[in-house]
Amino acid sequence: MPHTTAAFLDFVEQRASQAQQLYLLGDIFEAWAGDDDLDDVYNRRIVDALARLRDQGVALYWMAGNRDFLVDERFAQASGAVLLPDPHIACIAGRRIVLTHGDAWCTDDEAYMQFRAQVRTSVWQQQFLALSLPERKKIIESLRAGSQQAQRGKSYEIADVNASAIADLFEKSGTATMIHGHTHRPARHEHLHGSDTRVRYVLSDWDLDHGQPRGDWLAIDSAGEIRRCGLDALNRT
Amino acid sequence: MAVMLTTNYGNIKLELDADKAPKTVENFLAYVNAGHYNGTVFHRVIDGFMIQGGGFEPGMKQKSTNEPVENEAKNGLKNEEYTVAMARTSAPHSATAQFFININNNSFLDYPGQDGWGYCVFGKVSDGTDVVDKIRSVKTTRSGMHADVPVEDVVIEKAEVV
Repeated sequence: MPHTTAAFLDFVEQRASQAQQLYLLGDIFEAWAGDDDLDDVYNRRIVDALARLRDQGVALYWMAGNRDFLVDERFAQASGAVLLPDPHIACIAGRRIVLTHGDAWCTDDEAYMQFRAQVRTSVWQQQFLALSLPERKKIIESLRAGSQQAQRGKSYEIADVNASAIADLFEKSGTATMIHGHTHRPARHEHLHGSDTRVRYVLSDWDLDHGQPRGDWLAIDSAGEIRRCGLDALNRT
Repeated sequence: MAVMLTTNYGNIKLELDADKAPKTVENFLAYVNAGHYNGTVFHRVIDGFMIQGGGFEPGMKQKSTNEPVENEAKNGLKNEEYTVAMARTSAPHSATAQFFININNNSFLDYPGQDGWGYCVFGKVSDGTDVVDKIRSVKTTRSGMHADVPVEDVVIEKAEVV
């Protein structure tokens, strides 16, 4: 089992099980070919770990990422997760927080935004899901291998969220706190807005198998305090 | 091996690491010696992240480039503050002329990065970090499809091997 997966299962068992709610903000899976892939041994292991949380009374909320956006109803039933739209305004410990995966705000990457708009339509998804599971896995594999990367535009700019898209989201959601991931740039950004300070937390990616081991999560206590925590698996090494 | 960038904000000296990134340094020097960088701008400035340039003339006019260079990001050099690395598209081996100076420890750009390749560091600022600091804090705006473009041009007047 990859170290990253072990760290996730460890987190679910040791940490998430102590919480009242767990929000997962996307790309928990490297790829998701469709809910008919639930019986895959690896997928089943993750889903079972999440289902145990539900049995322990932890409310589980799931937002899709750009890699696992095909997660659907069968997954939700098997894992006990409530599927959230992106973005979603959550009320956690009396605090309104806008949650989002993050890719929808990388608006400078126009080629990606076009790709995203296409694959998030029900027409595209129905057509894709009509293919056999092996066919779908092959397509995902080729996408991931980068054979179609060249078509993703010629921008020389390392993608990040667009500042005005973020400002819009704060505005539309009427919140002063945002949490997202996707960009692999863990940070706590303070955005001044008039006399208010809006705070945007960016989660790290998790990778304990390549390069510098990394990963984090945010704990929100009953008073609404937000604290960034490192993975226990990182502290052990 | 070093290259001096003469900008309208001051001089930045880049010490290049030809041992760790031989092809990338050779590629960069070819642009320097051809005069490619003279009159280009730092067109993308994000304080807390990096400043990127070498591909556009004032007015966001993109310059033509040579063939892309192989990605040597796996050379052990890290995207730390004041290091210089090659910009590229989402294709791993697509770096041509554009480069960026990290103004933070951007470890997420190190090999293998987000896409299995990362961004190739090939040198560092050995003189003129104060000039980099001046550039990082300039006012930026949107220009066409580009965000984070300095309001006042930050021009590389001359790039030469020293």
